Amino acid sequence: MVPHATARLPRAEALGARLPPLIVAAERVAATVRAGVHGRRRPGHGDAFWQFRPFAQGDAAARVDWRQSARGDRLFVRETESEAAQTVALWCANDAGMGWRGAPSRPSKRERAELLLLALAALLIRGGERVRMLGAERTLAGRGALERLAQDLDHVAGPPEDPALPRHARIVLFADFWAPLEAWQQRLSALSTRGLRGTLVQVLDPAEETLPYAGRVRFEGLAGEAPELMPRVEGVRAAYAGRVAAHRDGLATLARSNGCTLMTHHTDQPPESALLALWLSLSGEAG
Amino acid sequence: MLSLGPVMFAAPWVLAALLTLPVLYWLLRVTPPAPKRQDFPVLRLLRGLVAAETTPARTPWWLLLLRVAVAALVIIALARPVWGPGAAPGGEGPLLIVVDDGWAAAPDWPERMAVAVAAIDAAARSGRRVALFPTAPNEAAEPPRPGALLPAEEARSRLAALRPKPWAPDPSAAAAALPAWRAANGLADGAVTVLWVTDSLRHGLPVPLAAPDPLPGAAQPIARPAPPAAAPGPDGFTALASALAATGPLTLARAEDRPIRLLLPPRAEPERLIVRLAQTPATSAAEAVVLARTAEGRTLARAAIPLPAGALGGEVGLDLPLELRNRVVRLDLEGTAGAGGVMLLDERFRRRPVGLIAGDEQGADAALLGDGFWLDRALQPYAELRRGSVEALLSRPLALLILADRPLAEGREQQAVAAWVERGGTLLRFAGPRLAETADALLPVPLRAGERALGSALSWEQPQRLAPFPEGSPFAGLPVPAEVLVERQVLAEPVARLAERTWARLTDGTPLVTAETRGRGRIVLVHVTANAAWSNLPLSGLYVDMMRRVIGLSAGVAGAEGNAALPPLETLDGFGRLGLPPPSAGPVPSNLIATAMPGPRSPPGWYGAAGEGAERRALNLGAGIAPPAAAVLPPGVPVRAVGGVPAEADLGPWLLAAALLLLALDLVVSMGLRGHLALARAAAVLLLLAMPAAAQEGANALATRLAYVLTGDAQVDEVSRQGLFGLSDFVNRRTAAALAEPVGVTPGQDDLAFFPLLYWPILPTAQALDAPAAAAINAYFRLGGIVLFDTRDEGSGEGMSSGARAAVRRVTRDLAVPPLAPIADDHVLRRAFYLLPDMPGRYTGGQVWAAREQDRANDSVSPVILGGHDWAAAWAMDARGQNPYATIPGGARQRILAYRFGTNLVMYALTGNYKGDQVHVPAILERLGN
Repeated sequence: MVPHATARLPRAEALGARLPPLIVAAERVAATVRAGVHGRRRPGHGDAFWQFRPFAQGDAAARVDWRQSARGDRLFVRETESEAAQTVALWCANDAGMGWRGAPSRPSKRERAELLLLALAALLIRGGERVRMLGAERTLAGRGALERLAQDLDHVAGPPEDPALPRHARIVLFADFWAPLEAWQQRLSALSTRGLRGTLVQVLDPAEETLPYAGRVRFEGLAGEAPELMPRVEGVRAAYAGRVAAHRDGLATLARSNGCTLMTHHTDQPPESALLALWLSLSGEAG
Repeated sequence: MLSLGPVMFAAPWVLAALLTLPVLYWLLRVTPPAPKRQDFPVLRLLRGLVAAETTPARTPWWLLLLRVAVAALVIIALARPVWGPGAAPGGEGPLLIVVDDGWAAAPDWPERMAVAVAAIDAAARSGRRVALFPTAPNEAAEPPRPGALLPAEEARSRLAALRPKPWAPDPSAAAAALPAWRAANGLADGAVTVLWVTDSLRHGLPVPLAAPDPLPGAAQPIARPAPPAAAPGPDGFTALASALAATGPLTLARAEDRPIRLLLPPRAEPERLIVRLAQTPATSAAEAVVLARTAEGRTLARAAIPLPAGALGGEVGLDLPLELRNRVVRLDLEGTAGAGGVMLLDERFRRRPVGLIAGDEQGADAALLGDGFWLDRALQPYAELRRGSVEALLSRPLALLILADRPLAEGREQQAVAAWVERGGTLLRFAGPRLAETADALLPVPLRAGERALGSALSWEQPQRLAPFPEGSPFAGLPVPAEVLVERQVLAEPVARLAERTWARLTDGTPLVTAETRGRGRIVLVHVTANAAWSNLPLSGLYVDMMRRVIGLSAGVAGAEGNAALPPLETLDGFGRLGLPPPSAGPVPSNLIATAMPGPRSPPGWYGAAGEGAERRALNLGAGIAPPAAAVLPPGVPVRAVGGVPAEADLGPWLLAAALLLLALDLVVSMGLRGHLALARAAAVLLLLAMPAAAQEGANALATRLAYVLTGDAQVDEVSRQGLFGLSDFVNRRTAAALAEPVGVTPGQDDLAFFPLLYWPILPTAQALDAPAAAAINAYFRLGGIVLFDTRDEGSGEGMSSGARAAVRRVTRDLAVPPLAPIADDHVLRRAFYLLPDMPGRYTGGQVWAAREQDRANDSVSPVILGGHDWAAAWAMDARGQNPYATIPGGARQRILAYRFGTNLVMYALTGNYKGDQVHVPAILERLGN
């Protein structure tokens, strides 16, 4: 399993390298303050210079900036700007339908979703953010985080639940979202009540929308459902398109009500455009 | 029976099933096709959707058409269609098939048989009975008569056993036998349908008397055999045709525009053999190629006879020096199988014994002085020279008798020589002092007494040079050297027709060589001495050339004349192949053999005493029968062409195969339509694999197997295959080697690299290898391959395959064969697996040869093993696991030893000199011990 996901790392990293580093505009949530690259406009732990202030009683002698202090008679202490990083939680659906592909020339939905997920993670890690798989035990950052994330990606399976996730973290969910709307309503509300907001990326095979079959076809489900025999697929294509549009609308409404944005990506489209849209979505939220 | 153009149906009622095809089409159309299977993840949204249009999906029209076509093909195939049944004559009642099975039918015999078989097939379909009627006397010399009326299948097997005879058919006797047959079978006029596969020749014509040998070398127009007189009366062909027409509706089958050719006896000329051919007239110009062959089957010369349109024959000179001509034993018409295209040349065309008697017996052989010295030097390379008295010389066959200044004594001596000349001998005399004194009667021209001296001290005349040879002289065309001077000669009396008798003369016109025909022979006189005393002619090359021309003129010697009966040795079959004489063949008197009429009692071939050096005489077809003359076809009889008509072909199996192929296509297409693309591909691949693919090369590489070289002789190849099969079986049972089924290979065509051992039986007729084959074998040797040559004539098999030794030399001429030596007692071959004292095959005794041990190339492994024990026959095992060939002298022990030799050979081929290292074991042990 591990090599399976790590094998995709080079491609994901290459994809991420083509975009400018993504800086998530972090919300100033005190509970999730962590040292990071985002300046907090106040002194604290960090690398960037913030101000000199006179030496006060109780300051450690090591903190005295001797070069500044030598210019006068007073001692000065150097203060750095406090920095914090955003935690982004990622999740990818793993049900049987995700493994489907409509044509041998296209990747399966699962493959495409994992690629996007890892690319996004590569960007975030390069921007200094912390990433985490929903449901995994660890939050990752820095060099090597991407490989460990890929391992987590293979190990973690299940619904998007993570009680250990800090409040107000950002979530990005990759799935086809074909499950009934009620099920998603339940899941998303559970997340949003904890202040978790983010983006839903619907990864679809184009055949799932266009229904490009003709003639007498017996459709068989991937999760062991009873097959469905269509005497003439051409005849039901319009009705099917209507149902798909209705489902999509319901899903968009659901996402908005839970503070999320919904994006749709088709596997016959290049993954770069999806990643760009995802980046814009995450940045735009910050503005 | 129903026929549609060239196609006929044997079971036409089955075609009624074609009417069900529309029903089948409708049924197929209303049945919806099997649904495609499709995985789909969004099944939930598809549930319960109902199409606005409810027309069910249809099977595509082209697939329907394909299936209907399959059904139609099967129905048509079951109706047993036959292609080309028009080749059979119609009519009712029994069918009488008359076959001309004489020599003229041999060249296109298969086509003639095809016509007859087609007729029998047609008769078989309609259940008619068939009688066969060959028109040539059979091998038992019985006159031709019609066979019994038989069921068609039996008649077919009788027909298959029929072979052309090397003699002429006897249509007159056949016509005579017809009424009795009709009476015996109770057949009224017209009750029988008759098909006559005829050669359309008028047989039984008188043989034209051989023209007396014209003066050889004389310029003469190309003689064509005179056209036979136009139908002087009812000949055999007409008689048989009218008799057959009376029996019932007659159809003729004859080869249109295929001239029937017959080789006539050639005429010998000095330096040339005039090959003659007679044929029936052809509408277009052609040429016939004649090959001159030796006893070993090698072709020494090839000449094309131009045959203009309408020609009745032609001739061409075969330019062959005497030495080569003496080795020619048969002339073959290239591309024509048949006794008519074979001319056997016996001693008459070859041996030219020359007797020599000099006047001065004591001084005859003195170097540079004696007559005998000069003649001996001139004749020795070209003729067999004999010396002795007149009686002694004439007691044996002689072509040419040379008397050098030797007058013949009156009385018995002169009579004996004169009688010999009358019988065809050539007497060559040289002048000299003795002859000038006592001229006798055996001279071409009367001589003046005494000689004429030119350029002596007491003469005003100068020595004379030679004039160019007159036209018509046998010496015509020889260059006349300017340095030849005649100082002295005998002079001919000026008699009538002296110029005609003169073969050479001097510049002043006096004859130098004169000749006269006496009876069947001739007398030639050279007016100078045979030595250089009277002229310097013997010093010039012209002397030798003149001698050779005279020898070429002389009649060949035909062995002991007389009427001694010569038994047949080898006779030709109808196809012109030599073989054992048929049982009816009897001896032929030797004086009749040149003109004997070939027949069952005297088939063409070799006659004489068996054994080396014995006289053999040839009885030739072309010498004993009249040149072929086309018969006048009876008017109003339908004629069918032989050859060019496709034989009947049963189309049923082909149609079924096509239906099967279409069904397979339908399977693939259906699978593709139902979405099983991968399955469809797999099915297609499986179908392709099921086709018989030529995967032999691959198979050869996958398993170790022995191989044998295909000789072209099916029987020998089968023995080789059985032999290697038996040996492989033995080796597989007794050793760790695992040998697969042996295969036959052709060097230069098959890749030999996969075979450790090649078994190569050498036929006496084997020819030298062509360049690719020799290169392939040499490459095989370099790669470490081993070839076992088997001449099959060693030891107890000596003489079984005579000529194989020479054939080995021919075959291996271009091969890199190392020097060979008899296999030593300590050779690896003798103990590679078994310890072998000797290495028998089917024969025992004799030697087996391999490369010498000291040749270190290729690790001392000999690439060639040569023997003649016919090992394959000893190893041979047939399908029932038995040994079909007895060992000679025999015994189970010999066969076991043969198998053991084979095992050793296989081990030798597989392991090389590995066992040879065992020689050093004592030395190694000793070293280890110390």
